[in-house]
Amino acid sequence: MTHWLTTTNHKSIGIMYIMTTFLFFIIAGMLSLVIRLQLAQPDQHIVSPHAYNQIFTLHGTAMIFLVIAPFAFGLGNYLVPLQIGAPDMAFPRLNALGVYLFILSGLTIFAGVFAQGGGAAAGWTAYAPLSTIQAGTGGGQDLWIIGLLLNSAATIMVAINFTATILLYRAPGMTMWRMPIFTWEILATALLILMAFPSLAVTMFELLMERHYGAHFFDPQYGGNVVLYQHLFWFFGHPEVYVMILPYFGVISEVVSVFSGKPLYGYVGMVLSAFAIAGLSMGVWAHHMFTTGVVANGFFSGMSFLIAIPTGVKYWNWIGTMWKGRIRLTTAMLYSIGFLSNFLIGGITGVMVASPPIDYQVEDSYFLISHFHYTLGGGALFAVFAAIYYWFPKMFGVKLNETLGKINFWLLFIGFNVTFIPWFFMGIEGMPRRVFTYPAMGDLPWLNAVSSVGAGIMTLGVIAFVWNVIFSKIEQKVAEPLPDDPWGDSFTLEWATSCPPPEFNFHALPPILSERPVWDMNHPELIKQRL
Amino acid sequence: MPIMHPASLQARDLAGVWYIFGGAALFVAVFVYGLIFFSVARWRERAGNTGIPPQFTKNPPIEITGVVIPLIMVIGLFYITYVREGVVDFLKPNPYAVVDVTAYRWSWQFRYPGHSVVVNGTVHNPPTLVMPVGKMMQINLNSDDVVHSFWVPSFLFKRDANPGITNHFDITPTQTGFFHGVCAEYCGLDHALMTFNVKVVPVADYDRWLASGGQATI
Repeated sequence: MTHWLTTTNHKSIGIMYIMTTFLFFIIAGMLSLVIRLQLAQPDQHIVSPHAYNQIFTLHGTAMIFLVIAPFAFGLGNYLVPLQIGAPDMAFPRLNALGVYLFILSGLTIFAGVFAQGGGAAAGWTAYAPLSTIQAGTGGGQDLWIIGLLLNSAATIMVAINFTATILLYRAPGMTMWRMPIFTWEILATALLILMAFPSLAVTMFELLMERHYGAHFFDPQYGGNVVLYQHLFWFFGHPEVYVMILPYFGVISEVVSVFSGKPLYGYVGMVLSAFAIAGLSMGVWAHHMFTTGVVANGFFSGMSFLIAIPTGVKYWNWIGTMWKGRIRLTTAMLYSIGFLSNFLIGGITGVMVASPPIDYQVEDSYFLISHFHYTLGGGALFAVFAAIYYWFPKMFGVKLNETLGKINFWLLFIGFNVTFIPWFFMGIEGMPRRVFTYPAMGDLPWLNAVSSVGAGIMTLGVIAFVWNVIFSKIEQKVAEPLPDDPWGDSFTLEWATSCPPPEFNFHALPPILSERPVWDMNHPELIKQRL
Repeated sequence: MPIMHPASLQARDLAGVWYIFGGAALFVAVFVYGLIFFSVARWRERAGNTGIPPQFTKNPPIEITGVVIPLIMVIGLFYITYVREGVVDFLKPNPYAVVDVTAYRWSWQFRYPGHSVVVNGTVHNPPTLVMPVGKMMQINLNSDDVVHSFWVPSFLFKRDANPGITNHFDITPTQTGFFHGVCAEYCGLDHALMTFNVKVVPVADYDRWLASGGQATI
């Protein structure tokens, strides 16, 4: 216990991030089950409207700020120093401060539930003036704002640390163009955070000023502007979407190439597309505001369409990596294929909602939230599971059970699609998001019922996962210790040290001649062919 | 299953964009899904595929094709978007009818300027917006408190009601009948109940209704 409270080791901090995000994932997942129960039929009263509004606010806030983004920081913390052959992160104490602030931010946000007037209930976007009106949004909203301030500080710290570590702490021979793709994607993410997250901190501070000190930034009566809030928020909010997906593009690239037995196809294109996505994502924020009637829809729509191109490059390269490979269908690989399948729907519908004439119908509807659940749930979250199944043996010295893993995958994959495909049709038919009930009109009742059944199937999938972790941990007591590279034929340096690695990561490093030093070490006869 | 029933001139233009994007989406989806599942099925590990696979890493002509074709597609889609959006958002002069819509927590007010007709609603008694069929109606949209959004799914259109900013847009209904309207932008406690009705009637009925101060039965 003392170790966990005093550690500055990147691996321990990484695991602290991952454990905390898992806890928040379970809470946020349970909240979404309450939502699906409430909406399973029209006109239900399982929770009150005020409770419902808090529930979806906390569900969104937790999944975004406390699960999907910070899991990537935990994974990056654990893996980046290992992948570049470094003993630790550049600023270990800043790293520890970051994880504490992150945990504190989550506790602060959830503490709002116990405040007078209940927790925050303005949605995860907290649009002004809804979030600045004192009546009905009590202390919970303030705690939510303070929580996000802490969260933005923690996130900026981890981004500074990643940038410095990757630029300055690489082992001899590990040139930039020999870095594993996951490390590249983390670098692009870190730079994106440094550009975007200050805007979140500023916006949250302005909300606090507006609520308590009469700042009137967003109050039209005093010359303020309600749309200004949306500009500031989405200037952070859209890059944040890519902060939540770029690291997972890295995960998928690693898993797909290792389990296809081939180097990543189009490595340079993969790196350039990551930075192209990061750069473009800074110029598309107002596509969240097409229906406000006061933004340059044409410009933001065109910029948004362009993001399809570097994303298309990634798909092209993932398929090229599998092409003529020897594909081992491990659970991690199944999750990666699930990612490719789900994220494709998210990406295609993303191009649709980037078109204002289509957005006029689907903005703030179930179509839109299905789109982003396909990118962040079917996409990022499936990559989270791919990462857990792939790196679990490295972190904990034990492989997760593959049979349970496959049951876990299929339940989650089927459950996910049963839950979210109906949402597209609900949205087109006219069901807005963030409603605690809906009229028994057209196809809405049966579509909602199907969706709720899907949520039940997903729950079974998560239970299978938890069972798998416990089961594998019990099995470990009798199993032999794992070799350095339990998958056989892995590529990157984390597989050149023990499972789990020693305190300072490496006793010795293999020569680094390409982005696949471990593969090169195992296949010396093939080095010449590649160089 | 739900199919779109565009009920205004503008909605027909918007639906055209839907059909084009829907077709393009289907094409891309079939192509990419085909490639993914073909690769997995064809090259999964099994008897006859056990050795070290070929270690190729790039193929510049194919990679460039993978950039150029999507680029051409998005330029085409952008052009369609831009032109159609211009048509729908363009505010034509001389509307047949004008209505001032004010959103407030949690209902709507419809005022017909120049006439003494004001319709107010509540969450339990949603207001009805009366529109003349086949005639262009200009809607001036505002909010009294927080951001709301005026959405009639059958018109395939919504626009935000922002406090301090008045938005204007045209709707030319093409069918008589009742349509469902909702608030699309989350606005607090009873957001889910902030609905309204749209009643599209023949022009003569509309004129009679307006002349009677909203009293005549239509």
